[in-house]
Amino acid sequence: MKDKIEQLVDYIMKHCLWQFHSRAWDRERQNREILTWTNKILCGDIEKPADRLDRCHWVDAMVLADSYRESFPWIKGLAKPEIETLMKGVRERMDFLTITGSKNLELTDQNY
Amino acid sequence: MPHHEFDCSTCIPERKKHAVVKGPGETIADALPAGYLSTIPGSISERGCAYCGAKHVIGTPMKDVLHISHGPVGCTYDTWQTKRYISDNDNFQLKYTFATDMKEKHVIFGAEKLLKQNILEAFKAFPDIKRMTLYQTCASALIGDDINAIADEVMEELPDVDIFVCNSPGFRGPSQSGGHHTICIAWFKDKVGTVEPKITSDYVINYVGEYNIQGDQEVMQDYFKRMGIQVLSTFTGNGSYDDLRSMHRAHLNVLECARSSEYLCNELRVKYGIPRLDIDGFGFAPLSDSLRKIGLFFGIEDRAEEIIAAETARWKPELDWYKERLTGKKVCLWPGGSKLWHWAHAIHEEMGVEVVSVYTKFGHQGDMEKGIARAEEGALAIDDPNELESLEAMYKLKPDCIFTGKRPGEFAKKVRVPYLNAHAYHNGPWKGYEGWVRFARDIYNAIYSPIHRLALVDISKDELPSESGFQTRRMLSDVNLSDEIKNASELRQYTGKFDVTPDLRNKTALDYPYLRQDKLEQLV
Amino acid sequence: MACNLSERTRAGIINPIFTCQPAGAQFASIGIKDCIGLVHGGQGCVMFVRLIFSQHFKESFELASSSVHEEGAVFGALKRVEEGVDVLLMRYPHVRVIPIISTCSTEIIGDDIDGVVVKLNEGLLKEKYADREVYLVPIHSPSFVGSMISGYDSAVRDIVKYFATKSDPNGKINLFTGWVNPGDVTALKHLLSEMDIEANLLFEIEEFDSPLMPDGQHVSHGETTVEDLRDTGNAFASIALNRYEGGKAAQYLEDELGIPATIGPTPIGIRNTDAFLQTLKKITGKPIPQALVKERGIAIDALTDLTHMFLAEKKVAIYGNPDLVIGLAQFCIDLEMKPMLLLLGDDNPNYARDPRILKLKEKVDWDMDIITNSDLFEMEDRIKNKGLDLDLILGHSKGRFTAIDYKIPMVRVGFPTYDRAGMYRHPVVGYAGAIWLAEQMANALFTDMEYKGEREWSLNVW
Repeated sequence: MKDKIEQLVDYIMKHCLWQFHSRAWDRERQNREILTWTNKILCGDIEKPADRLDRCHWVDAMVLADSYRESFPWIKGLAKPEIETLMKGVRERMDFLTITGSKNLELTDQNY
Repeated sequence: MPHHEFDCSTCIPERKKHAVVKGPGETIADALPAGYLSTIPGSISERGCAYCGAKHVIGTPMKDVLHISHGPVGCTYDTWQTKRYISDNDNFQLKYTFATDMKEKHVIFGAEKLLKQNILEAFKAFPDIKRMTLYQTCASALIGDDINAIADEVMEELPDVDIFVCNSPGFRGPSQSGGHHTICIAWFKDKVGTVEPKITSDYVINYVGEYNIQGDQEVMQDYFKRMGIQVLSTFTGNGSYDDLRSMHRAHLNVLECARSSEYLCNELRVKYGIPRLDIDGFGFAPLSDSLRKIGLFFGIEDRAEEIIAAETARWKPELDWYKERLTGKKVCLWPGGSKLWHWAHAIHEEMGVEVVSVYTKFGHQGDMEKGIARAEEGALAIDDPNELESLEAMYKLKPDCIFTGKRPGEFAKKVRVPYLNAHAYHNGPWKGYEGWVRFARDIYNAIYSPIHRLALVDISKDELPSESGFQTRRMLSDVNLSDEIKNASELRQYTGKFDVTPDLRNKTALDYPYLRQDKLEQLV
Repeated sequence: MACNLSERTRAGIINPIFTCQPAGAQFASIGIKDCIGLVHGGQGCVMFVRLIFSQHFKESFELASSSVHEEGAVFGALKRVEEGVDVLLMRYPHVRVIPIISTCSTEIIGDDIDGVVVKLNEGLLKEKYADREVYLVPIHSPSFVGSMISGYDSAVRDIVKYFATKSDPNGKINLFTGWVNPGDVTALKHLLSEMDIEANLLFEIEEFDSPLMPDGQHVSHGETTVEDLRDTGNAFASIALNRYEGGKAAQYLEDELGIPATIGPTPIGIRNTDAFLQTLKKITGKPIPQALVKERGIAIDALTDLTHMFLAEKKVAIYGNPDLVIGLAQFCIDLEMKPMLLLLGDDNPNYARDPRILKLKEKVDWDMDIITNSDLFEMEDRIKNKGLDLDLILGHSKGRFTAIDYKIPMVRVGFPTYDRAGMYRHPVVGYAGAIWLAEQMANALFTDMEYKGEREWSLNVW
């Protein structure tokens, strides 16, 4: 599982930009929203984004989920609870790398 | 990920925290270079000032504006004609620059009267232009001229003109980045929301952090038009002043250079609820993903897919021709800010080159997070490099090519490392599918330059490298390629034109009609 | 029909001809060997000047900044000069000279660079660098005074003033070249060598056209040494080729050390080169050799091929460094051309008293305007709105869009010329410079004739 999480995290790090928004609160929101959406999409849950801000998270998640299925075919063989565990791990790792473990001193700046 | 200490900088130990080598299995949480700190005096850093960050980098690409600097003439002169941000209105912003020409008597007695005269004269000299950006400099900041008050006074007297004031003197912050910040926030506060735009599509975006270097903006805008999307404004390359005042009416902010303008997108998100979508215009896969996301956002992903398929079919065989010949070549990715992360992974993945070092002149730690995350193991990451460190890195890493600015490119030349201009490009545009092939072509031409090979020869000692009277690039690039690749009929060299912008400018309309339906409301 | 001298009437500058004083001081600084100037101000004052040097010479030159940030601008930033000097000396062991160059910001906040030099001499240099010979030269170059021209002039004077020491006569002349190119230095050295005259040439910038060597170790810099600078005090005469670029230094040596100075004329064209050689002859007593008579003959021969057939009556606008502009105007007149507009980009009050300008005012028999404190918009405005009809523009690259947009042929001359290859390699001075200039002008006109299809057939039988 840990290895699988690392693969998925590495994919985000190499291909995505949404995880590196400016401030800690932005990053928390981005990781939470986009990875929650990704989880839902991978699990086959069909839901509609609530508003345009949500829709923006959803599109990042849609493209990520597609890429995951293409780059990591094993993901298609996972059951829903397994996906949920996996994505929870991804979220935790992402939160660590980009927020709690981040050495970026500007994350806590109160202004943009 | 240990910090890297340069031999030349042991005497300034605070530099150690500015460089890091990405070790095996290590992440950005293990170590990250310090960033956006005060420059060490006398270190011969490459950084510029906050005035240039505001006026030269971000303000001036706006195309239908009189750009005037309040101060002595040097700031204006020095930041004029050193960039390649073009526009479709005959490059007005490249051709004309204005300085209030502050002299000693103004320093003593104040220069507000002089400023007002200047503004009136400038509008008189260019009666068709009714918009102005006005920049503070070190001198006008220190003597305390109230530039905003003068601008307001003029706007009252001349109701058809509009003036934007940016108070970003050269000393504000450690680098040009301070100016990026100041101008973004000032534009947001003072100008956004002051014009109501003409909407021409159901799908409306702002394209932010894009400066139309050699036509990048026009390449990307073409894709958006082909998807039926209205680019309400571009901040700021090829951008129009009044369009940028109406940014608040877009459905989506598409952000390219987050370094210079993420502030603006963040503020627009908070105040107007416009989402910020970070994209990459560089690289086939990142660009395709970017177009896909924008398409998905509006529910027109089929239009995106059509473009992706057509462009990939047209240009991928040419990209791959270069990839076969660039694979394994070592490059230093030494730009100003955002390109270190825009390019780090994409050039490795799609051109096969090894990025052995990334640096940023004026980036912040966020840029280094992105850059290091996208770089491969072993890459040396340097914040605010100075001249001796760059030289030491080049001697040590022995890159085949470096991507950096014009002046550092000149000392790289002496070390016999060919350079490509990372800020202004060699023969761009480099964005878009065709642009990415142009980039690969330019790298190929740099690395396999026969003259570069001759530069490595010492005729007093060495044997002559070749018996023939010349070398073609392919004699150099194909030497270790298999016959299969060498003769592959599906691969080909770049076949585009010398100048790609005229064709783009001939196309004006969106490819789909405006149905006046609030499509986005229906989707969410 | 007359030559008029006037000043720009608008308050502001649209498209400047010159940058500000610190750039001139930096240009002087890079001419010295083992020297890195430290510019006290914001970083842009250095970064962009280095960029423009590299645009012009296609080389990188070393210049440092004290990197004044906000707190320095508020509370004074002399600490950053101290730190900057220390960092430079620690990391560049060969450095002997550090000019400390002020800017608008640090002059306004009143940073005392003279005082900090005294402090550093007494403190840091004695304590930490006692075994090293280091010279800190304060140079005041506030950007709100003069222009890059006066910045250069003052910096050369300040440097000479700092170093010039009288000991044993060296049998040389001092030759202050002004703001020139490597190609000019080569041409000047050639004339001196033909005259068998030894000169201390300031500055030795021939090596600005520097090689790409197989060892990959080359750094571009000037070759004038501390010893050369000191030795300026031992010359028996000085010549400053340019009144406004080096004239102050020559005058200083005359006033303070009794070394007689000849200032000008700028040896552009045949007549001015003749004058230069006459000056050399007069100062040294050495004859002008046959080789130079022949060289002059080759130049006259080349000019004769061009002047009355092609160049006569051609209306030309000239802008840039004042001595260059005046020299070019004089040469153009000898070539039967008509300089219509001369633009000088700063407010130096001495222009009105310049004997060369007075002569133009007295003798020119067509409408000619000399505008001081001018900008490039002055030229464009006259072309666009005031019926100025030009056949040719002579000037640096910053005016390129006027030439392009109004389809006027242009010969790039002066600083900076970044939009044509290798211009720094060619001289505008001496007989060689006269040939180069005239042929450049003729070829620009020829290309234009062919491009526009105007009498292009006439070149068939030339």
